[in-house]
Amino acid sequence: MSLKKLLKPFKLINIARKSGVVTVLYPYQKPLITIEFRGKISIDATKCMGCGACVNVCPPNALTLSRRDDTIILNYFIGRCIFCGRCAEVCPVGAITVTHEFELASTSTRDLNEGLVHHVEKCSSCGGRLGTTSKMLQYVILHSPASENYVHLCPDCRKKRFVQSLAMKIGARTEDYEG
Amino acid sequence: MRVDPLKKSIWVFHLNTGSCNACDIEILDVLTPYFDVERFGIKLVASPRHADLVLLTGPITRKTLPKVVNALRAVPRPRYVLAIGACAVGGGIWYDTYSVIGGVEELKKILEENGIEIDKIVYVPGCPARPEAIIYGVAVLLGLVEQKVHGEVKIAE
Repeated sequence: MSLKKLLKPFKLINIARKSGVVTVLYPYQKPLITIEFRGKISIDATKCMGCGACVNVCPPNALTLSRRDDTIILNYFIGRCIFCGRCAEVCPVGAITVTHEFELASTSTRDLNEGLVHHVEKCSSCGGRLGTTSKMLQYVILHSPASENYVHLCPDCRKKRFVQSLAMKIGARTEDYEG
Repeated sequence: MRVDPLKKSIWVFHLNTGSCNACDIEILDVLTPYFDVERFGIKLVASPRHADLVLLTGPITRKTLPKVVNALRAVPRPRYVLAIGACAVGGGIWYDTYSVIGGVEELKKILEENGIEIDKIVYVPGCPARPEAIIYGVAVLLGLVEQKVHGEVKIAE
């Protein structure tokens, strides 16, 4: 056996000593998380108005909006989320924030669902279904104050009110529209 | 059939079911000296017959489905599965595509029809899942840590 072969283990020891210990002791040590890292999103229940802008942009449909009677339910399924952060980008009120949370392992997919229940407003004139939340109406009034008189009405009542106001201008009497 | 829980080191088998290889790279990362899961006794084996835990990645395409069923049948009891990545958990962006069955939830039904029982499945979301997230998933599977996420329903004010 040549001397070169005999010295090989010592060479390796030298290399190992130079590089040192590289292993991260993850459970006992904090993991390396940069500012840019995107984890699970968190939806602020006090800010969210249930407009569904995030639902439209979500590539894997992890965010879904379902309407039932007088509630709108925004469901977030973490299992399908690809953590792209587009929902946080597009949210008009900034209710969605991207957190650094990544320890999301769970034993059932039911634990991976998060829901947010919104209550739907009713038409102020006929009491029928309006389909929007009160926060959404406030948002619309804030951005176009001219719509304040019509925003609380359902589409049918809105048409009636508009035609009525036009007719009043021409010279119709109020009694014609009652009953 | 009564199945004893795992008491010794777990040996893992890596099963790619049509994933984009991002999750597979993260699994390789876990096995390298940087994260070094061999300090927990986790070891990669080449055959499902030697494995306790199957690291399943990908949305399970129709082409791989028979092979996946065969591989899982070959795993001895107790049979554990770690579904890694958004694709394996809920189908990911392929959840309603014609060529995939859409995640482990659907696979579970098919396995039940074939009489294959899986003792425990742990879902690790992420696209791809971080190496730390995979280590955390194994810890949840072995019952070493409590899981952090619980499905909650909030009501908007």
